[in-house]
Amino acid sequence: MPHRLEITLKPGLFDAEGQGIRSKTLNYFGICLDDVRTIQVITIDAELTPDQLTRIQTEIFTNPVTQISAVTPLSLDFDWTIWVGFRPGVRDNAGSTAVEAVEDILGIRLKSGEAIYTSKRYCILAKNLSKLQVDTIAGELLANDIIEQWRIYSRADWHPETGIGMMIPKVRLDHSPAVATIPIDSDSGLEAISRSRNLALNPNDIPIIRRYFFDPAVRRDRNEKGLCDPTDIELEYLSQARSDHCNHNTFRGLFRYRNLDTGEHVTVNNLFKTCIEAPTLSLKAQKPWVISVLWDNAGAARFDDDHYYVITGETHNSPSNMEAYGGAITGIVGVYRDPLGTGKGARLIMGSYGFCVGHRDYSGKLKPRLHPRRLLDGIVEGVRDGGNKSGIPTTFGQTFFHPGYMGKCLVFVTALGIMPATINGQPAENKKTSAGDLVIMCGGRVGKDGIHGVTASSEVFSEHTPAGHVQIGDPYTQKKMHDFLLEARDQGMIAFITDNGGGGLSSSIGESAQFSNGCAIQLEKVPLKYAGLDQWEIWISESQERMTLAVKPEHLDAFMLLSRKHAVESTVIGEYTDTGKLHITYNGNTCAWIDLNLLSSGFPQWEFDADWQSPETRGMFEPVLNEPGNYRHLLCDMLSRPNLCSKEWITRQYDHEVQGSSVIKPLVGKDRDVNSDASVIRPVLTSGRGIVFTQALLPLYSQIDAYAMTTCTIDEAVRRLISVGGDLDQIGGVDNFCWPNIQYHPVNNPDGRLKAAQLVRSCLALKEICLAYAIPLLSGKDSMYVDGHLAGRYGETHKVSALETLQFSASTLISDITRCITLYPKATGDRVYVLGATRNELGGSEYYDHFGYVGLNVPQVFPEEFLPLYRALSTAIESRLVASCHGIYSGGLAVHLALTAMAGNLGITVDLSELPIESPLRDDQALFSESAGRFIVTVSNDQARAFDTLMAGLPIACIGKTTEEDGHLEIRKGSDPPLLSISIAELKTAWKKPFGALI
Amino acid sequence: MTQVNVLIQTGYGLNCDIETAHAFTLAGASPTRVHINSLVEGSVRLASYQILVFGGGFSWGDDHGAGVIHAVRLGTHIGEQLLEFVDKGNLIIGICNGFQTLVNLGLLPGFDRDYRKRSVALTYNDCGNFRDQWVSLKADADSPCVFTQGMDTFELPVRHGEGKFYADPAIISRLEENHQVALRYCLPDGAPANGAFPHNPNGSIRDIAGICDPTGRIFGLMPHPEAYHHFTNHPDWTQIQEINRRKGIMTDPGVTPGIRLLENAVRFIQTR
Repeated sequence: MPHRLEITLKPGLFDAEGQGIRSKTLNYFGICLDDVRTIQVITIDAELTPDQLTRIQTEIFTNPVTQISAVTPLSLDFDWTIWVGFRPGVRDNAGSTAVEAVEDILGIRLKSGEAIYTSKRYCILAKNLSKLQVDTIAGELLANDIIEQWRIYSRADWHPETGIGMMIPKVRLDHSPAVATIPIDSDSGLEAISRSRNLALNPNDIPIIRRYFFDPAVRRDRNEKGLCDPTDIELEYLSQARSDHCNHNTFRGLFRYRNLDTGEHVTVNNLFKTCIEAPTLSLKAQKPWVISVLWDNAGAARFDDDHYYVITGETHNSPSNMEAYGGAITGIVGVYRDPLGTGKGARLIMGSYGFCVGHRDYSGKLKPRLHPRRLLDGIVEGVRDGGNKSGIPTTFGQTFFHPGYMGKCLVFVTALGIMPATINGQPAENKKTSAGDLVIMCGGRVGKDGIHGVTASSEVFSEHTPAGHVQIGDPYTQKKMHDFLLEARDQGMIAFITDNGGGGLSSSIGESAQFSNGCAIQLEKVPLKYAGLDQWEIWISESQERMTLAVKPEHLDAFMLLSRKHAVESTVIGEYTDTGKLHITYNGNTCAWIDLNLLSSGFPQWEFDADWQSPETRGMFEPVLNEPGNYRHLLCDMLSRPNLCSKEWITRQYDHEVQGSSVIKPLVGKDRDVNSDASVIRPVLTSGRGIVFTQALLPLYSQIDAYAMTTCTIDEAVRRLISVGGDLDQIGGVDNFCWPNIQYHPVNNPDGRLKAAQLVRSCLALKEICLAYAIPLLSGKDSMYVDGHLAGRYGETHKVSALETLQFSASTLISDITRCITLYPKATGDRVYVLGATRNELGGSEYYDHFGYVGLNVPQVFPEEFLPLYRALSTAIESRLVASCHGIYSGGLAVHLALTAMAGNLGITVDLSELPIESPLRDDQALFSESAGRFIVTVSNDQARAFDTLMAGLPIACIGKTTEEDGHLEIRKGSDPPLLSISIAELKTAWKKPFGALI
Repeated sequence: MTQVNVLIQTGYGLNCDIETAHAFTLAGASPTRVHINSLVEGSVRLASYQILVFGGGFSWGDDHGAGVIHAVRLGTHIGEQLLEFVDKGNLIIGICNGFQTLVNLGLLPGFDRDYRKRSVALTYNDCGNFRDQWVSLKADADSPCVFTQGMDTFELPVRHGEGKFYADPAIISRLEENHQVALRYCLPDGAPANGAFPHNPNGSIRDIAGICDPTGRIFGLMPHPEAYHHFTNHPDWTQIQEINRRKGIMTDPGVTPGIRLLENAVRFIQTR
């Protein structure tokens, strides 16, 4: 008989969650609630004696100091009560830990099929609240119908004894697993099956697949194994492996690039090879610190003689767009498996995030699945729990708002790890599988979750996208596995390790078996969450928190012993072979027998037409805008713009100092509230070296030219690193491209050719700037279908495409962390310098956007001009000549002077007539241009001479000085009256206005 | 000098173990990171150690109240061994998640040497969210707490979502009378925070940041001493270093308050 516990805070105790719901209900929907109290519901679907139930009720589930509980419904007062619980099969992390605790304290094991489920009941007090309003609160704040179900009770509907009843979201699959054979009589037939089974096979691949299965030798070979036509599991394997997500068909595609203005034609064969691989390999040859790139789950670079650090970046856009919390936590926890699965395994040391969403206060007519505000709340919380509960500091992040992300949001997650250079005398960055090694699956179990996630993320989001690929990451299970695997690594037990992410076992085993050239898998050995999964589902399920390993048979016993000590489930599911085949059996019957080299044999390259027209030809122009008079008001409004204002509420939710490695925090300054240019950690606590990390993202520039967007983004990342003292010669990059669909279609994607041309230009820019700045790309990923179809007011739908977006993450080292500097001035009377020339470059700027313009003059990057300045500045910082340094980014000089003044809580007086310029500029141009290559630097008077000497001949000027505490930002030009004089307090009020009340 | 053996628990979602071990090494001790299951199975015995650490993290995901399941597991399997460890005059420190575990085990507040009674709690922050920030702290000079001896006002980071100290008024009075409230959140100048956010970051009753048992040998606190083991951990270090440079002073890379707090414990064992 199932049991139900209801638990709540004692009357009179402050219910923080309830109050949070109350304030969101007011802010989001304008609905005023008198009170909200939350009740935790634990449903125990297991046989327990009354004594056992009482014991777990009192010892586990009820805190005697703060809580009350009952096995009958609690009699809290309410006008409405809303119950919210998971749908069947959705990961219930708290339910799983409850089982662990109950089994431990009672010394029992739950029987197969028994489980514990958690849910919540909210008791709302509010007079005159309508059912419709309660529905809104339930459906748009408390629950997401993709993963959760809810019930609403009014006071009158409520039975005090029955309450919510016994809600048991148990998965029941009345299904006997079976392998299906798929007829491949015709291309069109297979195409139809591909559609109906959500295989997402590319039509161009279908003839190749059919040709293989019709090959007489193949047929003969298959007949011996009892196979003929392909099985569903085989086609699923091919579908996963050939998906854009796994195979990067777009980046490996053939691009026919035409400049329609000049008539010039270029064919770019394989963007990955030409623009990413080639420059990185040539840089690797010059830079011995580049250890391992372009093949593993993450790239590796030298930290010191004894350690390598590894880095990679991912996105998790489609799932987050459907279920923000679940998608984001799955994303961050997922990317943390990449360093763990790099080389023989790396310990996680840092994470970061990048969020691109619609405006938080959107009130237009389009109806996204989740309002951007709710979406952002969810992804912020998902990354928070994923990072914090993994014990990994989240030291950097950025949030960018633009309506283009209403179609699909972007959730970037980046992870860094560290590993010893050698393990048992073997290079740690190398790994391989060999015939005879055991295939071990480690970590979580397999369920229906995440099936077809890879193929779904390779498609444009539509209302028919299956919801089954939404999952909830479980950092707790993964942390246990992480600790276990590092101990196994150090004992030399791991021959090969990789993670199960997109594509599940199909990808992890399919790829790892390429090393030994074969594998034999017994699929029935894979531990399942519940019975009834088809074989193909087990093979491609993306259930989280799993790694695939190769372990030598002689290490098996010790490995399993260690696994048990760490309370981690590990299972031998087969072995690696050298047969050249992927061989899968289920209870002895072969269900897949396929040549591993099929994937590298003759699948057609994807092809794209890419037509470029210059911004002028596309009708873009500089706005006709006269100079403003009220700079004071203007600057305040600029500081209140969503993309420039304070987002401290997000940063503070992330533990950025766990592991004790914090050197430069994400928020710095007198009041510790201004975003640092970059973060610095010291991952080896006995060493004085640090890793400097930053990110940049400038999608507004793509409106004019994605080439400039790319060069400026990377230039910004470089300036951010050197602003805190990072070494200019050890910068590694991670490129994360997020692009709208680039395949032209006259009806569905009429501007596909331009988007394709933008991608080509972006990749060419990436190559050129990485070579110029000598930045090898340590890792990177692409996500190619950032479009959505949103419902409008009349039942019509609108396609909304994201701006072409590149998030660039960059890392470097600093050999002595005590030489790090921060962006805020440290003393009154210091000299304020601007380094780098300001040009008339306001195209795509925040300033133009403030007035609704895009403009034309997008900022340009001139590496030959910038690099000598960067090098001289680096030397000055290393020589301790610089008191503070801050790059000038979006918003321009005025905004970043304001940030500098606010950070130091020191006034700043500057004279614009001293500003380094190339040609005369209007004051608003000087103040808001977003020219690349610039910094604001403060230098004490006693170091000024040495600084000036070092910077001689470079485009720099002292334009003013720092003044008193709590002072003013004063901007003047020559002897004219000041253009602007405003107190730091007023600046801060404006800067914190939009989100300052959020916590 | 006596070697001071420190056991730092690991596993089941705990973290902070590496930097806690590093900090204890700096404080002159010999730390070992030990999996909870090694204690439960008995392959490691507490008898070989003098300081037991319940460190930070998210044991069992914090899913049913922070520290609850950790407490249940230890209480069920090695409850007697823990009491023996305390009886021998050894030291226990619980940091953040570890503090939550100590109060759920009943090792704190330990009135009348009853080390099994749960009478105080750490519950959800009033601000409703997890928060990472540095706080100013004031130690009670009259507290028997071994760890805070000789310390006055200092800063440490807090990083938690469930750090609000709560108990009935009678319990709070008793804690204060006994000087068991070893550590409080305060204003930067040392004056009482009086609940003012963000100085008191979680709404703790009477600004309580850490308490000890009546002997002063068991100590739990929400802030993280192990995260301030080097001067570059402090949020203002670049400012402090620059001002010192101008005065011609080298910034002292000496003992931070976080290490000092652990050194007090090590010295106590060495001199007892």
